[in-house]
Amino acid sequence: MDFSFTDEQELLRTTVGKFLADRYGLESSRAAAKTGAGWQPNIWRAFAEDLGILGATLPESAGGLGGGSIELMIITEALGHALVIEPFVETVVLAGGLLQRAGGPRAEELLARIAAGDAVVAVAAEEPASAGTWHDVTTTARRDGDDWVLDGAKIAVSSAPLASQLLVTARTSGAQRDTTGISLFLLDLDQTSVAMEPVRTIDDRRAADVTFDGLRLPADALLGAEGRAWPALEATVDEATAAIVSEAVGCLRRVLADTVDYTKQRQQFGQPISSFQVLAHRMVDMHLEVQQAVAAQYLAVMKLDAEPAERARAVSAAKATVARAARFVGQSAVQTHGAMGMTEELALGHYFKRLTAIEYQFGSRDRHLARYAGLTATR
Amino acid sequence: MDLNWSAEEAAFRDEVRTFLEQHLTPELRRAGTLMTSVYADHEASMAWQAILHERGWAAPAWPVEYGGCDWTPLQHYIFSRECALAGAPALSPMGIRMVAHAIIGFGTDEQKDWFLPRILTGEVFFCQGYSEPESGSDLASLSMAAVDDGDDLVCTGSKIWTTHAAQANWIFCLVRTSKTGKKQEGITFLLIDMTTPGIEIRPLVMTSGEEVQNQVFFDAVRVPKANVLGRIDDGWTVAKYLLNFERGGAMAPMLQVWADAVADQAAGQPGPDGVPLTDDPVFRLRLADVRVRTDILEILEFRTIAALAKGHDPGPAASMLKILGTELSQTITELALEAAGPRGRIYQPHATMPGGPVPDFVAPDSGYVSGEPWQAVAPLRYFNDRAGSIYAGSNEIQRNILAKAALGL
Repeated sequence: MDFSFTDEQELLRTTVGKFLADRYGLESSRAAAKTGAGWQPNIWRAFAEDLGILGATLPESAGGLGGGSIELMIITEALGHALVIEPFVETVVLAGGLLQRAGGPRAEELLARIAAGDAVVAVAAEEPASAGTWHDVTTTARRDGDDWVLDGAKIAVSSAPLASQLLVTARTSGAQRDTTGISLFLLDLDQTSVAMEPVRTIDDRRAADVTFDGLRLPADALLGAEGRAWPALEATVDEATAAIVSEAVGCLRRVLADTVDYTKQRQQFGQPISSFQVLAHRMVDMHLEVQQAVAAQYLAVMKLDAEPAERARAVSAAKATVARAARFVGQSAVQTHGAMGMTEELALGHYFKRLTAIEYQFGSRDRHLARYAGLTATR
Repeated sequence: MDLNWSAEEAAFRDEVRTFLEQHLTPELRRAGTLMTSVYADHEASMAWQAILHERGWAAPAWPVEYGGCDWTPLQHYIFSRECALAGAPALSPMGIRMVAHAIIGFGTDEQKDWFLPRILTGEVFFCQGYSEPESGSDLASLSMAAVDDGDDLVCTGSKIWTTHAAQANWIFCLVRTSKTGKKQEGITFLLIDMTTPGIEIRPLVMTSGEEVQNQVFFDAVRVPKANVLGRIDDGWTVAKYLLNFERGGAMAPMLQVWADAVADQAAGQPGPDGVPLTDDPVFRLRLADVRVRTDILEILEFRTIAALAKGHDPGPAASMLKILGTELSQTITELALEAAGPRGRIYQPHATMPGGPVPDFVAPDSGYVSGEPWQAVAPLRYFNDRAGSIYAGSNEIQRNILAKAALGL
């Protein structure tokens, strides 16, 4: 039983934190999101070359540092604290996890490019009718000679407009919600033209709705074994969920700190509003939620390498906890700031939007409570 | 970072587990299961204390020289955890876990030699005299007078919320010896023999129908100055010192056991549309929510104990754990009462093992119980568990503490 970081982990924490504090600006990143390219390629380059965080959790065989879930936690919490919009979780955690589990030369080559900062990879999985269930797949892939032909639609594919590659889940056999019969395909977007409707998300990121209408792919587009992608998908989505739980903790700490500072400065009725007990107790309740979110982060991260059922139960417990914290702390921070909390003039408004997105990303609180209940033995 | 026990810790856990398997009789487990509050049936609790004492585990947190155990903070946590998981009846906290630490910290050699061995055997059984009718959260405003008269202090006034006053033969009190200066000054920590003339106990019938709490009246009660703990007028120092020993509890394991019990019970109860209650989607999610919150609380407890084990100050964690644990416990009592169904409205304390006498109730001659004993426990526990957010510093006071200590407000 130990909750301390190693010296190397502590160094990673301070290095990433300092870099983001010095070089990552809220205004410049929002400008990139709204009127610019949707991300800051120079920052991404620095992530790879100055900080080495794009390869920190990838295997050494791919040019990574072979770090584990604790390193992932440290990095994603720092990214959340600085409200980083660049697609770390999509590329490194989600795509990186799927590529490692699929294996093969194409996957390994792409992992190396991710670690080097040369690739942004998006994962197209959710569909109009899937309601967040990743094994609910109606997009089909059928063989035609040596080729694969894809038909179907994916929605809200995070970072797709920025991506150099796309990983797509498609059904090669079985019924709509079967966990067997799902396969994973890799597309190079500079070689393959894909019908894409780019959109901006509520939390200032880029995404796209993607349509496949008889899209023809070469035989080697299939990654891993045909029809057996589900265990890899499930494990990888749990990792990505743990990553955004950790990201949320970074956001939550910042939002609580901003709220406490604001109430100490804001004067009404001739005194700082922090002196009002009703506000103090609400902020204590926010603190209790943040501390529970931190515990949720620890639980999820330290169970990522456990048996699948134990891992899934811990991740769902964590996501349900963080979703509640995100809503309560976010809403309470806005209320405590008054109408200023509803504007985009303060950092808070931007953090509130990201926390709201995280609340639902990879499944809502109710969804995870139900999954947890299903994994809890009734005697 | 690591959530696993070390090999030594796992070995210790197994040692405790084996002991519990061998010594927790079905009757003692039953007393644990049928508790209607945080207080076990008095006789069962004392019987269990005797068994633990024989093994040298009745007061593990005391220094070894007085009969405690040379354990790490993690071992203390593991011991509490295993006792809770095994369903052991709770020991009364007032003696071993509270006043004994004050005696060890501030007592004279005579006081230590006389009280500590007797607390261990149960020969001396303490109740606590802190609150007064006019002094609850504002404890330092207490007014029970202790007037200097030669070798004695003469005490007049009253204490309230005195758990187990009828069973106790000693009471530790905060009394007022001086009215000058700040209200925290002029308070004295006093040990009083409950058989002294002038003491009268009025039981308070709680909403559960039990007499767990009491008001104790003192009318010119003569207490030798030799029974002062620490210095006269300096009792607040002793009381504050005692607060340090509230840390390091293991509430999450107990809550896990309760939540599992509710799940078992609800599985045998009808939900809407004829399905078992545990298959009702709404009840199912509420139960999952309670279990998730318990998992999270356990991590927070682990983190606190791990910090203590490294010699770090866990800060105001005790206040946080107290709020979260008691509120969660109250939520579990709500689920249990819901699971009890229509029988949850039937008052049948004869099917339970309450923490005190139940006056003005006549059990049916046949011993008839509608439904299962847990359905009789559920409403009583629901009512008694309201105490969780009130005692040991109300949860509002805990929030005041956190506002200052955790947020700098």
